[in-house]
Amino acid sequence: MESNPGTTETRSNLTASDGGQVTAFESLQFTDEIHRLILAPTTINASSFTALVELPPPQAVELLHSPDSTKFIAAKPPNVEDFKGSFRFPSNTSLIEPDARFSVFSGEANNGNENRDSPVSKILNSNLEKAVKSEPAETESAQPLVSDPPVEKRRIKRKGRENKVKGSTKKSKTAVNESSEDAEKLPYVHVRARRGQATDSHSLAERARREKINARMKFLQELVPGCNKISGTALVLDEIINHVQSLQRQVEFLSMRLAAVNPRIDFNLDSVFTSESGSLMDSNFPGLVMPVMWPEVQGDGHRQQYQHQWNSDALQQPVWGREVHNNYITPEKSLLTYDSSANSVTLQANQLKMEL
Amino acid sequence: MPLSSLKPKMRPHSSLKQEFLKKWIMGLQRCSFSKKNMSILERKKAIKFSADIAMASARNGTTCWSRSLISNASKEGSDIHVVEQILGSESDRPAVENKVPTRRASVCKKIVKRSCRIRRRRRRRKCVASAPSSIAKHLVRKRREVLKSLIPGGEFMNEICLIEETLDYITSLRVQVDVMRSLASASVRASE
Repeated sequence: MESNPGTTETRSNLTASDGGQVTAFESLQFTDEIHRLILAPTTINASSFTALVELPPPQAVELLHSPDSTKFIAAKPPNVEDFKGSFRFPSNTSLIEPDARFSVFSGEANNGNENRDSPVSKILNSNLEKAVKSEPAETESAQPLVSDPPVEKRRIKRKGRENKVKGSTKKSKTAVNESSEDAEKLPYVHVRARRGQATDSHSLAERARREKINARMKFLQELVPGCNKISGTALVLDEIINHVQSLQRQVEFLSMRLAAVNPRIDFNLDSVFTSESGSLMDSNFPGLVMPVMWPEVQGDGHRQQYQHQWNSDALQQPVWGREVHNNYITPEKSLLTYDSSANSVTLQANQLKMEL
Repeated sequence: MPLSSLKPKMRPHSSLKQEFLKKWIMGLQRCSFSKKNMSILERKKAIKFSADIAMASARNGTTCWSRSLISNASKEGSDIHVVEQILGSESDRPAVENKVPTRRASVCKKIVKRSCRIRRRRRRRKCVASAPSSIAKHLVRKRREVLKSLIPGGEFMNEICLIEETLDYITSLRVQVDVMRSLASASVRASE
């Protein structure tokens, strides 16, 4: 059993007592939870996705070696998808935190238990449910390895992983063991080359780069509507290009429209506000613009007028009802909450209460 | 790094919209202050211009596209006061950011031109590749170039950076469109 000195930092939420409380009962609970997590369709949202990404897959491999987790491995569905190998974003500490916590937990859970590997492995695996496709292959080969392998707690290095595969592309027990033991105390993550892939540093770096790009493309696919179903980079890029172009065209069109509506481009806002529309969007304008006006003293006579008019408009706000006309007004109604940094605080407070 | 700010992607839209709106209106007032009785096209250009600058400055120089947009805008002397107006409320950081991309831009432009020349030569030799993977790569490369032309300052980015910038740019454009649309509808309703 090893204890990584780095993981005994005070960063962890769990103390040794917690580790001692990890019993077989809790391991059962974890199993259920993990089963549920695995079998349920998982959606990627950005934060969990990156948390996923941060954890190196090989760590899970080692943890899966414990005998308790065999049925867990069997239950793992084959729908782990494209997070092949290991790849990571340029990370920041907030994303590494959860992983550090988990690794600490593993360190302390190790302190007393016979089944120490299983809860740890389950928790860590719950993060890695979408991890590497090669993991099942690895674990299947490693299952006959019954003896308690040391639990890896590799520190995650921020930039530039070392890809120190042993030079063999085949998965074998000995290779797994060796690299696992080697990686014990090293401060960075080892990326394992997959079956049948070259292992020189160039191709590994190339693969890392490609995976970075693929990960970001996934973000883009989520962002651009209608891209989720398309497969293939070229078509997705097509969609993205269309989307950007359409957005740019919309900006042009809207600016033209705004120019056509107003004879002066500083948007005679008082006339806008005295309209009967009364959507909260409009009611936010005076509150938003007033702080803009105060620093803007250019000796222009118009400015003074605007300030007076907006003061009166601000007073009129409570009279307006809340009408939602269009779909796009609705999100703005909820989103344009005004932080109370301006005058007439009470009015803004009322607005906030209405909107929240 | 820009991506670390993108990842949560929960950049609160409300604050972004507010910021954009404030800066936009500031810029518009500056525009109207300088010129009276503009034609409709002038107005439209001014509107769009200040909207773009406001959007870019709302990013506070964290993204490449915003920096290059602002630096491009500051080059033309006519509207520079608008730019200064919008950026003026911030610290002197935008000034620094403005200078750096121009220097980098000129260097990068030379590099890009050189590489394009080389690439063109290589392409002539490689044109006959018929393997499906190379065709796919060719397609993807074509689209990447189009994307680079769309995003301000895109020519200077590598692929990873390009995608990150696209993400950010799309969200900013959406915010811009939302605010403009609501303002337009409000104005229309007001004028009725």
